[in-house]
Amino acid sequence: MTRLRIAVLGGDGFVGGAMVRALAASDWAVPVVVGRRRVAATASGVERIQADASDATALTSALVNIDGVINCVLGKGETIAKNADALFGIAGTRPGMRIVHTSSMAVYGAAVGDVDEDTPLAGNDWYSIAKVEAERSAARCGNVAILRPGIVYGPAGPQWSVRIAEWLTSHRIGDLGAAGDGYCNLVHVDDVAEAALLALRKPDAGGQAYNLSMADPPTWNAYFERYAKRLGAVPITRISARRLRIETKLVGPPLKVLELVGRRLHLSTSGLPQAIPSSLLTLWRHEIRLTTQKAEQELGVRFKPLDEGLRETATAFLAAAKTGLRS
Amino acid sequence: MISDANAFPDGQAWSADVCIVGSGAAGIAMALELAGSGLDVLVLEAGGEGRHPEDQAFYEGTVADERLHSPPDRYRQRRFGGTTTIWGGRCMPFDAIDFEQRDHVPHSGWPIGLEALLPYYPKANRLCEAGEYAYTSGTAFDRPLRPMIDGFAPAHFTTDTLERFSCPTDFGARYAHKLRAATNVRVVLNAIVTGLHVGPSGRAIASLTVRTREGKTFHVRADRIVLATGGLEVARLLLASRDEMPMGIGNQHDVVGRYYMCHIAGLIGTIAFDGPLDRMWHGYDVADDGVYCRRRIALTAATQATEGLANFIARLHHPRITDPAHRTGMLSLLNLARLFIPYEYGKRLHGEQHTSLASWLLHVRNVVLDPFATIGFLWHWLHKRTLAERKYPSVIVHPKASRYSLDFHAEQLPNPASRVTLGTERDAFGMPRLHVDWRYLPADVTSLQRTLALFQDDLRQSGVGRFDYDPATVEFEMTRFGAYGGHHIGTARMGSDPRTSVVDADCKVHGIDNLFIASSAVFPTSSQANPTLTIVAIALRLADHVGRLAASERLATTNAAASVTSEPSEVHEVHDGSAVDDDRLAEAR
Repeated sequence: MTRLRIAVLGGDGFVGGAMVRALAASDWAVPVVVGRRRVAATASGVERIQADASDATALTSALVNIDGVINCVLGKGETIAKNADALFGIAGTRPGMRIVHTSSMAVYGAAVGDVDEDTPLAGNDWYSIAKVEAERSAARCGNVAILRPGIVYGPAGPQWSVRIAEWLTSHRIGDLGAAGDGYCNLVHVDDVAEAALLALRKPDAGGQAYNLSMADPPTWNAYFERYAKRLGAVPITRISARRLRIETKLVGPPLKVLELVGRRLHLSTSGLPQAIPSSLLTLWRHEIRLTTQKAEQELGVRFKPLDEGLRETATAFLAAAKTGLRS
Repeated sequence: MISDANAFPDGQAWSADVCIVGSGAAGIAMALELAGSGLDVLVLEAGGEGRHPEDQAFYEGTVADERLHSPPDRYRQRRFGGTTTIWGGRCMPFDAIDFEQRDHVPHSGWPIGLEALLPYYPKANRLCEAGEYAYTSGTAFDRPLRPMIDGFAPAHFTTDTLERFSCPTDFGARYAHKLRAATNVRVVLNAIVTGLHVGPSGRAIASLTVRTREGKTFHVRADRIVLATGGLEVARLLLASRDEMPMGIGNQHDVVGRYYMCHIAGLIGTIAFDGPLDRMWHGYDVADDGVYCRRRIALTAATQATEGLANFIARLHHPRITDPAHRTGMLSLLNLARLFIPYEYGKRLHGEQHTSLASWLLHVRNVVLDPFATIGFLWHWLHKRTLAERKYPSVIVHPKASRYSLDFHAEQLPNPASRVTLGTERDAFGMPRLHVDWRYLPADVTSLQRTLALFQDDLRQSGVGRFDYDPATVEFEMTRFGAYGGHHIGTARMGSDPRTSVVDADCKVHGIDNLFIASSAVFPTSSQANPTLTIVAIALRLADHVGRLAASERLATTNAAASVTSEPSEVHEVHDGSAVDDDRLAEAR
């Protein structure tokens, strides 16, 4: 059987990498990583095309002889917009090509309560506004399925696994009290990849959007507690509202400046503690719960139990810490 | 939504599916549980945000014997969050034996067992921020703990159970954001309930009168009313609502206000341990969830049953602070600073006789001669208590010699003669103030004496030390500081028989179909346990019950409507019922 050639835009990232692995493990697809980076060698069974996914001309060339696309491009607002223009411009000309676009729960903005896919999109910061605009471009094509994952975690996940683990093990976060009462709509990166592959193969997934999150998600406090226990970062520290303000308002900005200066000067910033951005204080309080029946019923996604996901995530973090490979 | 009653027009009528009176541990727990239920929930709080002496003054009253009971405006707070704004945070569930009818405890026996509360205790624990529902050292800790008393193998006690500590969590401050966000919950501050009014049927509360200090009056109608105030105010509200029932509501058998219990508590004797200092550990262990836990010496249920004793726990405690003979700088510092310690926490200091100049100088000497320990204590206190959100629960001193006192906390036996009644004084709205006549029984004293004797025997038999105390001083020590402050229990007790109880197993007032109580007032017996965790568990259970009642009524209404559609002769009757509902909904909200 001829395998389908599936391009993964942003395939070098955390989520894109999981897509590539899942495609490579399948018996029907060959992953083709499309990225700007020049890479000496690729994993067995994985093809690679060097191209800028936010450049329409380069992307058009890269997608010749491609049967389907999974879009996992991240970046600044401008990058997200250019990527959307480029990809969905091509999609309009190739209706037979199936595309899965990885969006985000951020498109729901400040919505609270149980939120399904019919909830109006309402971006409320640069990231969510860019994501909403990208979705609107995607919606104009009939062959794009949209995934809206919540908090994507998993081994080596930089944002919601490694960074959180570093903060937990250094007791900079923990039990946040009222500041951690929001829902943490966790979804394992493998589940996102599974959903993408299922959407690719489902003929009528185009034009549909799917929330992705574990059922009955924990609060951020509960996530931190369970993760900290797996990491051995116990006893968990109660972080006062005062201390959180100091972290985000006083400590955070100088740390961020140091990080940016270090990067500009090509200095290693690995020893520098990561700043806790004040935007997280809003997220950690946000009482939004994604409803995911549509993904479960229409795509057939089965979400990994949190204990299992946390166990492997914490194990990977601790192993990396032991070998000094962490971030 | 949280609003101020003074912002509404005078004379307005409010309606709700459920009206909760009080926003302390019980009221807020119920409101949170009913958030998102679809029921229209109205929470009335007599106080505002923060402490205001004018609000607190409504709690003033009289006591029969000032040596035996604090003034009624102490240990309770009339404000958003209620008394959780000042509580100590000690949590532990009741024991199974507490619910049993025990021959040696007259008037004992709940109409429910521990199993009725077990589904609610874990969530109550979380709301109290006391971590996991794990109350033995084996379940709370993955690691082995150092023994509380190495070598102590008591026949009548266990040192395996523990107490867990809330932050302590101020329910108002902690959960205000959730209450503000809940679209079906309205919390109205400065809304003082001055009376409950029984309807013509005599079986339901038709309305509540609500007033504000600024002079406004409102009327509330609700399908169900829950009194979620403290154990004293429940009795006051029931007894003072006598417009239609001269004895007060739920008091046709003169039970409201009786059986008033606190706990039997105090410090006694000297425990001297043999062997090295590290043979004992009476401090806190921190669980993985960050919660401070402390083991206790608990009288086993089997011993209570066979020996006919009331429930009892004790902790190893540092020597009496006021006696400078302890030569411990930090204890002397606490004694010298007692005027700066809040009444509720410093009563054991405030309650002592006047300190002599010689004693004062000896305390100063202790501080001066023990500077490093004193500074260390101050730093620890600043870091772990003053500045911490999860506060180190109490002063723990590891004595330089293996000498401790015994800090006991025992069940008080139910006694119908121990009671609160309406006094002759009245508050600013003319509502009678409370008169508290707390009493204990000779059996309280003998039970404690026999329990202490068993502990003395067990310690001696184990060969790890000795407990020296004078049995003749037991009664004096258990009343040295009066009734244990803040635990107001039993004034509207739960039971099956309306002649000896006020509420049924569902916390519904006997004979009144829509009035419920969520409070320590409903506890028929007091246990060894501090009451807050069980108050919250009972409130969650009641919220569940009220939610189910409402759901079954909705179903019945739906079925009736369906029946109307098929049977025109029923239309008139059902339409009347709907019209009543419409009127209620049309009232200002």
